[in-house]
Amino acid sequence: MPRADVVVIGAGLSGLSCAAELAERGARVHLVAKGMATTHWTHGGLDVAAPGGARTMRDGIRMLAGTDHHPYRMLATNADAAVTAHLARMAAAGLEHVGSLDDAFTGIPTALGSLRPASIMPVAQSAALAPWGGDGLLLVGFGRFRDAWAIYAARNLAHALWPGGPRDIRGVDVELPGLDRLHNIAPQILARHFEDPGWRGRALSAIAAALPAGAWRIGMPAVLGLDGHAEVHADVERRLGHRVFEMASLPPSVPGMRLFDALRRRILRGGRIQIGFDVVQVERSGRRVVAIHTEAAARTLRIAGDAFVLATGGIAGAGIRARHDGTLDERVFGLPVAAPPRERWFSDDPLQPHPLEAGGIEVGEDLAPGELANVRVIGSALAGMHYLDQRCGDGVALASAHRAAHSLAARERAA
Amino acid sequence: MTSVAAVDVVVIGGGATGAGVLRDLAMRGIGALLVERGDFTSGTSGRYHGLLHSGARYVESDPISARHCIEENAVLRRIAPATIEPTGGYFVATPDDPDDYVERFPQACAAAGIEAEPVALHGLFRAEPLLSREIRAAFRVPDASLEPWELVDANLASAREHGAEARRYQAVIGFERATDGSLAAVRVRDERTGEERTVACRAVISAAGAWAGKVAGLAGATLEMSPGKGSMLILNRRLTSAVVNRLAPPGDGDILVPVHTVCILGTTDITVPDPDDVNTTRDEIDALLADGERLVPGISGVRVLRAYAGSRPLYDASDLGEPAHDESREISRAHHVIDHGRRDGVGGFWSIVGGKLTTYRLMARDTVDAVASALGVDAACRTADEALPSPASGTPYWLGDRLAAHEADGGGNAELICECELVTLSRLEDALDERGDSSLDDLRRTTRLGMGPCQGAFCMPRAAAVLDARRPGAANATLRGFMAERFRGTRPIAWGDQLAELWLTAGIFRGILAAGDVPDAPSESPGVEHAAR
Repeated sequence: MPRADVVVIGAGLSGLSCAAELAERGARVHLVAKGMATTHWTHGGLDVAAPGGARTMRDGIRMLAGTDHHPYRMLATNADAAVTAHLARMAAAGLEHVGSLDDAFTGIPTALGSLRPASIMPVAQSAALAPWGGDGLLLVGFGRFRDAWAIYAARNLAHALWPGGPRDIRGVDVELPGLDRLHNIAPQILARHFEDPGWRGRALSAIAAALPAGAWRIGMPAVLGLDGHAEVHADVERRLGHRVFEMASLPPSVPGMRLFDALRRRILRGGRIQIGFDVVQVERSGRRVVAIHTEAAARTLRIAGDAFVLATGGIAGAGIRARHDGTLDERVFGLPVAAPPRERWFSDDPLQPHPLEAGGIEVGEDLAPGELANVRVIGSALAGMHYLDQRCGDGVALASAHRAAHSLAARERAA
Repeated sequence: MTSVAAVDVVVIGGGATGAGVLRDLAMRGIGALLVERGDFTSGTSGRYHGLLHSGARYVESDPISARHCIEENAVLRRIAPATIEPTGGYFVATPDDPDDYVERFPQACAAAGIEAEPVALHGLFRAEPLLSREIRAAFRVPDASLEPWELVDANLASAREHGAEARRYQAVIGFERATDGSLAAVRVRDERTGEERTVACRAVISAAGAWAGKVAGLAGATLEMSPGKGSMLILNRRLTSAVVNRLAPPGDGDILVPVHTVCILGTTDITVPDPDDVNTTRDEIDALLADGERLVPGISGVRVLRAYAGSRPLYDASDLGEPAHDESREISRAHHVIDHGRRDGVGGFWSIVGGKLTTYRLMARDTVDAVASALGVDAACRTADEALPSPASGTPYWLGDRLAAHEADGGGNAELICECELVTLSRLEDALDERGDSSLDDLRRTTRLGMGPCQGAFCMPRAAAVLDARRPGAANATLRGFMAERFRGTRPIAWGDQLAELWLTAGIFRGILAAGDVPDAPSESPGVEHAAR
């Protein structure tokens, strides 16, 4: 019967980071998750804190820490170390990043042709961060890849308010070779193609033939390899003779897959991971959780632990679920969910922040929910943030994972 | 800019009734133009539950309407078979339904000419295993599921073949009257270009349904409509294979209609002052689910894709000599042809009000009979004799046919833009070839784009890029409009999986794409020198 020092429930950025941190500190970690998480829905950059009016992420953290109920109220002190540790983990896995919490935000183009603020990006996306100087922006789409809209996005960007932006903005669609027999090509399929040096050479010849003269930076679908990504990206830049950056579009996100895989490998050095295991029962003894029971295809499995980390996400990640009468349930421990009353859940415009997005679990300074002493709540399950509008989801995930890992490691030492 | 045209009859309203009237006029050789303020089938016809009535629902409360329904049910199966899935229907008695109604029902059906065959309960539960075991009586009736978009399109296509014209996004803004007070011309405004024009005519038929009161007002006549808002829920799968009705006088939450891959639970009935009020409230949803539980226990736990509402064109006929009604459900569903010349002194103007989508053809016939006679045309109605053009005359739509075609087609333009409803790039481009001025929401009505579980999260940016290639700069506003319209239907049912879906949509549109920040209408040419520095 498995027994762990810490059981982490959930495989998103917060759960993976917390488990990695604990494993690095020598704890026996067991991560279980119902399924793949929201890492596969992301743009691949790092959203630490970008509320309106902030000039840098550090600014953003400070602003949010001063906001009632925001998780950064207690997590701001963890943010720096957590981001540093994360970037080190990524670099060790071959996913170097550029930028820091103190760099000014830059508007970087989205696949639809608007700009979003960023300051820390993986190398493969970072060519959009540097000042444009005299460079033009060329968006390249691939014929029959339905999730890249180069010409549409270029038209939108050409009319965006973009001070210091590119000299010229164009979009072009290129037919890539040898895809005739594929249907409805998913990004990860193209990513695997790009890892094949022979195919890549033919594809890059086709792209090179479509390049106009002049100095360009090229925005491409985020499909430049999975495992061998760094090498693929470097090779693409070398052969095209221009800097190239990836732009994430509709899920699944290849940059998110790379992130997931880097953290998964890190945890597996010392810990266990089981994905596809839903928690169906919780054993408690007073204010402590003793074990959880998970259910997979054929049987239930009891996993005992000294401490439990709830990293199951909010409504998007299905850690919190609404019933049709408006009741919100936290699905593992049945913790109370703080949320606005149902009649105020939504704003009228679907593209504006909704009050319900700030719903979640309220915790104390040690991230423990009131009634369970050996549980820590991290990531998007926490109440008080507008993770889309404030662009703070990744930062809160990392900072809360860091804080939980430290407080649990300290308990271990004390015990 | 104003232009002038002339035609015998102007028909106002591009729903089933207007399209039926246009076809009937055209088949009798009367020149006609139909104008619709929005897209065709975007009003009540496109916002109903999808039921081809047997009439059994109205056998007691409204026997005239019941008889109309069963007669037209047979006609439509003959002239438009591909718009109908012959699901059959049941009337089932739950413990809450009145005993005496169960006893009277078969005779009332027989009197109206509706076959209602008693069904043994063990057979019912074998055929429909999800139905409540508390059901204690059941009858089988010839209900069916009916596709309104294709029915309206087929009527318009037939009308065009016979020389008529139909134009959408043409709002009626006024009328011109002759010295004797009769209508001599209709003034319309193109809702997209703002261009106004005047259409001279000999007669005007208002088939504006719940909006008929507003149209009559513009013509100087008075017509008190009592729009009845009906809300419905779309559940993400077919819970029954046949239509299921409560064996009781018409009430809320008493019908379940299987439509293609989903089913529709309906309907509420609330009198509203404004027919444009088609927002579904939480109370309505709670009532629908609570009543739905009596038919299918556990229905509240089924994923709801969307809520929507339509405005019934109810007309309180008390000023025609019928007794007045308090409740909207008590108002007759039978139709009335109103001759405003006789009634209000506004000659050359008729309104067709009341009725059901099932009886649209009969409503059209009665209206055109009156108008033709006034115009001195004695041709008889032939709309029941001639089948509607394909695809309405082919076989009913089935998603599996699209899958088979997709698998057979191979490469080329077979990429799926909408995975839920299997809408390929070539299907989308065909729809744009046919109606190049379509918005994304119009394309939804012709292709089913964005109607599935994701409600447009994945297909809409893709479709916007396709639209933008055809009409540079036009995509952003219609993309935002589409998402706002979808949100209106998902917001009231945002719980469980559909709330998570809404959050995924928000993550895509706000987190990844920053869709709120694209300009509304970027101008024509891509790749121009950047202007904003």
